Amino acid sequence: MSLSDLEKERYFKQLSVQDWDQERLKLAKVLIVGIGGLGSASALYFTAAGVGKLCLCDGDRVKRSNLNRQILYLEESIGKIKVEEAKRRLVSLNPDVEIEAVPESISGQNADELTRDCDIIIDGLDNIESRFLLNEQSVKMQIPYVYGAVQGWQGYVGLFHPPQTACLACVLPKDAQIPDMIPIPGVLPGTIGILQATEAIKFIMGVEKTLAGSFLIYDSQNLTFDIVETEKNPNCSCCAL
Amino acid sequence: MSVVIYLKAGSELRLRLKPDIDYYTRRVETEEGKSIKEILTDIGVNPGFVAFIYIEGKIRGLDYIPSEGQSITLQPPVSGG
Repeated sequence: MSLSDLEKERYFKQLSVQDWDQERLKLAKVLIVGIGGLGSASALYFTAAGVGKLCLCDGDRVKRSNLNRQILYLEESIGKIKVEEAKRRLVSLNPDVEIEAVPESISGQNADELTRDCDIIIDGLDNIESRFLLNEQSVKMQIPYVYGAVQGWQGYVGLFHPPQTACLACVLPKDAQIPDMIPIPGVLPGTIGILQATEAIKFIMGVEKTLAGSFLIYDSQNLTFDIVETEKNPNCSCCAL
Repeated sequence: MSVVIYLKAGSELRLRLKPDIDYYTRRVETEEGKSIKEILTDIGVNPGFVAFIYIEGKIRGLDYIPSEGQSITLQPPVSGG
């Protein structure tokens, strides 16, 4: 596969980045589950970078309270189906990216179909239960899963690729106490979503150093980034079976 | 026999921890052999507000048993998107 003149012009600034492989990116299919704060940011940058296919999965409609952080949507988007609005915006950014809009929430019924043939799964979810479902799917299909989550001034990013690495269930408990209303300043999912896209793009292109096997903890209030190692739990209820 | 450990937390979890050494850190003297989960309960911090801990750059679970002098960072569950 070679790049057209228009592609060379569009991607000019990134083609000379060390280890960049635009053709490998063009062959990739990325699934983003949840097109809210995290998913808006990552979807924009996957599209700008020129991934081959992007599948957007979200069963919600746009609400006014989304607009402080879900930057794919406009005032006129309120009430409309998120993935359809997102697709419209992304196609106008880069018509070369094939975008599939799936107006559904992930569930046990559709997870196999959604993840079939995708090269990497991006977490744009807003609840822990769905994240564990996505993790189970990642383990089952052996597809790398880029986890992301935000709350207050904190954000987490992880790249799980079992069986080579731990899975999400090796790291996080299923019974943690989550508040009913999660405060989120818009800049946090923007930052974390872009970090997720960065790690996914690096992984797709085969860049040697990624977050696989590690976990990034961002505390924007205290201006710290910490990267810690994860370990496979030999008794993990998900990946040790 | 007792051990002294140092628990650290940022953001909202820091308020629950009630640091006494510096802005982030609380000194805890505890019985040797207790897990982090047990220690948190003993000092009045609900372990449900801690998703994981990390020590010397590695993530551990709340069943981890700390040694004398260790510094343990507590991280809250984070689930928004």
